[in-house]
Amino acid sequence: MHPLLVQYRAVVVKEVRQTVRDRRVMALLTLAPLMQLFVLGFAVNFDVRRVPTAVVDRSRSVESREHARTLLAGDTLRLIAEPHDERSAATLLEDGETSVALVFPPSFEKDLLRGDGAWVQALVDGSDPVRSSVAVDAVARHAAARASTLGMEQARRLGREPPRSTVTLESRVLYNPALETAVYVVPGIAAMLLLIVTTLIMSMGLARERETGTLEQLQVTPLRSSVLMLGKVTPFLLVGLLDVGLALCVGAWVFGVPLRGSLLLVALATLLYLMSTLGTGLLIATASRTQQQAFVGGFLFMLPAVLLSGVMTSLRAIPDWLVWLTWLNPVRHYVEVLRGVLLKGAGLSDLWPQFLLLSGFGVLMLGIATRRFHKTAA
Amino acid sequence: MVASTFGRSGGRILAIAGKEVLHIRRDPRTLYLALAMPVVMLVLFGFGISFDVDHLELAVVDQDGTWASRELVRQFTASKEFVVSTESPSPEQALRDARRGHVVAVLVLPKGFARAVSSGGAQVQLLVDGADGNTATQVLAKAQALIQVASPRLAGEGAPLPAPPVEVRIRTLFNPGGRSALFVVPGLAAYLLAIVAVLMTALTVAREWERGSMEQLFATPVGRMEIVVGKLLPYLCIGLAQVLLVLTAGAWVFSVPIRGSLPVLGLGALLFLIGMLGQGLLISVVTRNQVVATQVATLTSMLPSMLLSGFIFPISNLPAPLRLLSTLIPARYFVSVLRGVLLRGNGLEVLWPQLGALALFALLILAAAMARFQRRLD
Amino acid sequence: MNVIEVEHLSRRFGDFKAVDDVSFTVGAGEIFGYLGANGAGKSTTIRMLCGLLQPSGGHARVAGHDVAIAPERVKAGIGYMSQRFSLYLDLTVRANLEFFAAAYGGHGATLRAAIDAMLERMQLTSVRDAVTGALPGGVQQRVALASAVMHRPRIVFLDEPTAGVDPLQRRSFWQLIRELAAQGTTVFVTTHYMDEAENCARIGIMVDGRLVALDTPEALKREHAPGRVLDVRGPGLAQALDGLRGEPGVLDVSRFGSGATVRVDPTRVEAQAVARWLRARGVEPLEMEESAPTLDDVFLALTASAQRGED
Repeated sequence: MHPLLVQYRAVVVKEVRQTVRDRRVMALLTLAPLMQLFVLGFAVNFDVRRVPTAVVDRSRSVESREHARTLLAGDTLRLIAEPHDERSAATLLEDGETSVALVFPPSFEKDLLRGDGAWVQALVDGSDPVRSSVAVDAVARHAAARASTLGMEQARRLGREPPRSTVTLESRVLYNPALETAVYVVPGIAAMLLLIVTTLIMSMGLARERETGTLEQLQVTPLRSSVLMLGKVTPFLLVGLLDVGLALCVGAWVFGVPLRGSLLLVALATLLYLMSTLGTGLLIATASRTQQQAFVGGFLFMLPAVLLSGVMTSLRAIPDWLVWLTWLNPVRHYVEVLRGVLLKGAGLSDLWPQFLLLSGFGVLMLGIATRRFHKTAA
Repeated sequence: MVASTFGRSGGRILAIAGKEVLHIRRDPRTLYLALAMPVVMLVLFGFGISFDVDHLELAVVDQDGTWASRELVRQFTASKEFVVSTESPSPEQALRDARRGHVVAVLVLPKGFARAVSSGGAQVQLLVDGADGNTATQVLAKAQALIQVASPRLAGEGAPLPAPPVEVRIRTLFNPGGRSALFVVPGLAAYLLAIVAVLMTALTVAREWERGSMEQLFATPVGRMEIVVGKLLPYLCIGLAQVLLVLTAGAWVFSVPIRGSLPVLGLGALLFLIGMLGQGLLISVVTRNQVVATQVATLTSMLPSMLLSGFIFPISNLPAPLRLLSTLIPARYFVSVLRGVLLRGNGLEVLWPQLGALALFALLILAAAMARFQRRLD
Repeated sequence: MNVIEVEHLSRRFGDFKAVDDVSFTVGAGEIFGYLGANGAGKSTTIRMLCGLLQPSGGHARVAGHDVAIAPERVKAGIGYMSQRFSLYLDLTVRANLEFFAAAYGGHGATLRAAIDAMLERMQLTSVRDAVTGALPGGVQQRVALASAVMHRPRIVFLDEPTAGVDPLQRRSFWQLIRELAAQGTTVFVTTHYMDEAENCARIGIMVDGRLVALDTPEALKREHAPGRVLDVRGPGLAQALDGLRGEPGVLDVSRFGSGATVRVDPTRVEAQAVARWLRARGVEPLEMEESAPTLDDVFLALTASAQRGED
């Protein structure tokens, strides 16, 4: 056998033995991410439902009760209080007890029946813009719907032709017709967990060898730094692939994430992605003397990588200068590949730019880490 | 007598705290990171985490090519909510753009659209990329609203519709501009503090175990309580400095107001930090190994504080078991306190349950850490 | 034939000269001792000779290759055991040997046989499947030595191999080192323990980065600590000693706790004369023991003269 191969195998075997030995590390590498995926898949949900609502009905009429009842019949708003006046409704809003307060004026029914513009006031807590805009939307849409039914009834009473719309929109939702959040978010969470687990284990593992002195011992052997790096990376590449496989299973069985494209493509992307995360971990370790420094370094990379990847929030919502920054983020490209292949059945012809960027990043990181490692040895 | 015992104990605590300060000063990088990182991250993510989705990329397939079809497309772009990024001759080509993620929706104007408009029954088709359910929902709602407005204009119908019989007058409180930053920044502050506090203590204490200096400490007459307090004191000070820096940055960069009571905010921050430091301590006492400690700390602080605290995802959206779990996450209460004080101007009379929960968590976690400390020595 | 040739070797860290113009040679199969106080430059020299650190000046050839030009070739021909016994404490003894042997390219059935033989030779067969971190220091030390020589290097560098190991283990460890040397392996060893240094064929002594002496232990003693050593003990010794320092035939006086060692030139003054002299100055009852000088005395004399030279 070629001596390089012997050395490579020795490093791999050593890493595997060390990893398997500590059951806690094994659990952290496989079970913990899976459990997190399970929990988080349920947690990440942008749907706004059950917004606490207070109704101040100063009209106390059939029409106001009917208006409130039909509004609250939807899933968006939930009645939690019926205070007597506006002031106590405002207090409820200030205390955060309720997010919406509907106030019917005493003249509501009279104005409505007379047809000269009845109105209802909606007080909305705007501190969460997503929630408040959905709530406002629900209130407004309900009013418009009621207005149009009432308008049509009115027109019919007056014997006029009701207005009709000339252009209708026929919408079709592709890839995720039920608009499930989990289907979209679960691949993102998988990418995020993979990043956290692999970057840290790599950077801290090498820093630990430096701290305990075994790194110096390795450096007096003829072991090449590239062989050492590849050997250290290999077991965690396999662990990462296993993690992704498990995540896909949980995603499919628990959250109904489809697999429309090629599994092989997912595996290839995962390998390239892991080269980036593990390479970054190694690079951080070469710049750190202690495990603590390695950790802080890894953390400084992970936090922006997660938050600016499009996993949690849409990249469309951030300023352009930040979008440029996300081009350097391997998490972003990997998540795009995962979502593309799993949800849209995209192939290499669609995703080649992402693959190119991922492999470029991976080779670059591993290369720089190896070079730096070689230099810091002296 | 009592005073002298107390004095001696205080002296020992100060001695331990002083030693910890020396450690921190010897590695000033860590201190700079601890203080500068949250501010930098706050600014970065204050811009980066946003839910105001606009500039939605639209592919247009105009098979009609008439004045009416062009006018409808113009209505879409004039709204500023949509950007026409490609004009494709065929729906197939537009769908490929959707699969690659270049566009979120495809608007198809069929041949004969203009004729259909004049005869009063035109239909356009919208294919929406549903992978990201949240964005897709917004696309659907915005497109529907646009069509409704555009429809009478295209038909050239001059007759005004009768005044809507029911009108909603909406007043948005606290964040009338609907700015994401006002919502995100307080949550982000809690999130960053949680991570930094848990990790810093978990690492420093785990390091002492690894190097055996903890045993050394136990050989001295210093009590466990004194060790714990002495070790946590400097980090508590760093944490409080972080709170000040982060709030100042929030106020300057994002004009986050401070409408409520600062002392309540300070008390909340103090209780929250004690709880987080205690959590770090417990982790390090249990794991006694830096690699495992960081993984556990990351998994128990970084992700739950982001996902189960209401920082990004509303707690009311969580499924019941997770909602129950979220009551154990102190970040949840601190996020409430921050938003309450900063945005809603709440005081102690409203926020006492949150403060109580924070105090309880701090107490329990410190007690648990101490108990483990004790047992480990037998 | 020389396997280590060092000429004017220097290493600076900023303004600090850790190793300053050091030259020496070590022959094949020799046990070469390298002594010095902490921070005298021993470890820095070893690191340069192992190809871990680039020299700032001078040359060194180890196992036939220049350490600055071909460090990788040097590494293939040497073994190294650092003072920290840098083993993987979470792996078994056998796994450690397998790993380090494979790092030098060993594999297959020959490797397995070699490992079994090594375990036998180092008396490690009974603990081969134990986790290294759980073993006592003396056993870890033997594992570290075994790892360092698994690949049959021509030279093995041992950097304070016996630090923190009990005297019994130290003695059996030196037995192993002598066996290695008898089979032709050159041993380059640093140590704090002067009694161990007596095992070396030749000794170099470092003070503040400079090599101040290099010879066989006997020659060093003859040259730097000649005469006889008198260990004296008694009341009022402190005052009396100051006067003794100037007396003819008294080479050196150093105090240790309540006693002192007085080194004398036996051709000029008798032990009994010193005893009489001390008793006359009120040191009574006086205890005195006569012995031959050790390397301790050489080391102290050299360190003291180097410091005097600096003042």
